[in-house]
Amino acid sequence: MINLAKKDVAHTFGKFLVTAMGVGMLLGIVLIMIGVYRGMIVDAEVLLGDLNVDIWIVQEDTLGPFAEASRIHEDLKDTIRVIDGVDKTAALTFQNIQLPLKEKQVRVVAVGYNPFGAISAINPARLISGRELEKSHYEIVVNNKLGFALHDKITIGRNSYDVVGLVEGAVSSGGDPLVYISLKDAQELQFLYSNSRIREDRERGMSGGDSHMVNTIVATLHKGYSIEKVAQDIKRYKHKSVYTRFEQKGILTKNLIEKASKQIGLFTAILVLVSTIIIALIIYTMTLEKMKEISIMKLIGIPNSIIIKMIVQETLLLGFLAFIFGNIFSHLIYSKFPKRVVLEIPDAWMLFLVVIIASIFSSFIGVKKVISADPSAAIGG
Amino acid sequence: MSKSQSIKVENIVKNFGSGESLVSVIDGADFQINKGELVALIAPSGAGKTTLLMMIGCVEEPTSGTIYLGDEKVYENKWLTKETRKIRREKIGFIFQAHYLIPFLNIIDNVTLVSQVNGVSEEQSHKEAMDLLDYFDIADKATAMPSELSGGQNQRVAIARALANSPEIILADEPTAALDMERSVDVVKMLKKIAIDQNVAVVMVTHDEAMLPLCDRILKIENKKVVSLVVEKDTII
Repeated sequence: MINLAKKDVAHTFGKFLVTAMGVGMLLGIVLIMIGVYRGMIVDAEVLLGDLNVDIWIVQEDTLGPFAEASRIHEDLKDTIRVIDGVDKTAALTFQNIQLPLKEKQVRVVAVGYNPFGAISAINPARLISGRELEKSHYEIVVNNKLGFALHDKITIGRNSYDVVGLVEGAVSSGGDPLVYISLKDAQELQFLYSNSRIREDRERGMSGGDSHMVNTIVATLHKGYSIEKVAQDIKRYKHKSVYTRFEQKGILTKNLIEKASKQIGLFTAILVLVSTIIIALIIYTMTLEKMKEISIMKLIGIPNSIIIKMIVQETLLLGFLAFIFGNIFSHLIYSKFPKRVVLEIPDAWMLFLVVIIASIFSSFIGVKKVISADPSAAIGG
Repeated sequence: MSKSQSIKVENIVKNFGSGESLVSVIDGADFQINKGELVALIAPSGAGKTTLLMMIGCVEEPTSGTIYLGDEKVYENKWLTKETRKIRREKIGFIFQAHYLIPFLNIIDNVTLVSQVNGVSEEQSHKEAMDLLDYFDIADKATAMPSELSGGQNQRVAIARALANSPEIILADEPTAALDMERSVDVVKMLKKIAIDQNVAVVMVTHDEAMLPLCDRILKIENKKVVSLVVEKDTII
């Protein structure tokens, strides 16, 4: 039996292909949007994964240090360390700073940690060049995407920092590149006031700022101890907010990127809807162009089922080709985006399912037109 | 119904609209057409030629009356089958003013489409189609697209398509309207040959009086009735 869809597509193959490419670009954008969302989740978990700690201790009644500001004393790490079950502790700071890069400023998140401490903030697997921090002052490890080279000098505040290491893929929960500096440098940057401010405070009868503050204390536990129980003990005795690694992950994904993901989800849904409407309009137009032929076919006795099969097959083929082009397009451009875009195969299959359902839905409009076609329209007079 | 009769129409009525806006087009037409006959259907524009053709072709439903196609009564005040399209596919071949071939199918596919839908195997339908194309002297164009053929060649393909399902009836709606005199005569002579060779009834709607002497009979719609006229053979071209 003649396959009408195959013959029709072959007859106008170029036009069909270009149409599929156009719809494919739209679907490619849908994939990119999903990839942006996936990228946000991955970014949100980079720092958590790199630190790989069991417990986060932050200022009482805050969701710090990522979702809310948190200040606690650095020496808390020593009292935490003696709690039963705690193995290692570290004090960390996180702050947004602007790095001078050529003639512009680039926003980064600076992670402050003690290079001689028990827990390093740098994941050794990310270090692609140079080394970790080995001095208490004026060394910096930067994300390689920033464009700095080893031994470059970077001025932050009043001090100049020497680039001693380059890391790959280290970003904050917001997708900003990470840089690592010593805890002392970080505290100075974040908590120490300028000399004039200290003098002014003294004249006002206020004590100077305390720079021995940090944003969080993190801790790892000995094997066999319940994270939840130790977290509960710390919370009870130290009057701090304490989060397990899973709770911190929840805060990051729920509080920080939930709205963004909803926004992207809505945007993606609108794009899918627009794609469906466009496919439907294309099929409608393609059907309209064939109305004379459809009337003739109906007149000479071709059953509706065969004509409808042609419309549905063409729609599905259009959707399938558009999906292929969409994947190619998204894989060609995703690396050009400034923030991480993660293209995952299950997402592509999900989109494939949506496209097929949308194509079937879109074909209804063409099918309706076929059913309503008047065979007598083929006869003049 | 006699064995030689291919179409028999009894007291067919066709009205459009209702009440005050009712328009009567055909009011009690009776005629029959035999196998092997080429019959011209003539009437002034708007008199109902195409409507009558469409009623015989099971496209337009009459208001009342009876229609026999071959030995099957297909209409008696209502369609006697829901499958009017099947009747068209199996019993009737259509020829139009223009060739109206499916532009995305090549010549052989255009000719074999209906017979393949009727269940004839691809191989068998291709063989029969090639015989028909050979009959019309266009077998060498079998794999060409309609856009690659001349108007005359396409019209021959359209006639081949109308014959591909071995119909009992061929309904031709002004098949010569777009042709010059020489080609018109060729087409009508071809239809006459088909009527005899294939033993089918051919009903041809035409405005061209010059073609009438080539036909076996003339049916004219006059005062909403169908009357039979004598063919003046003296004027044969």
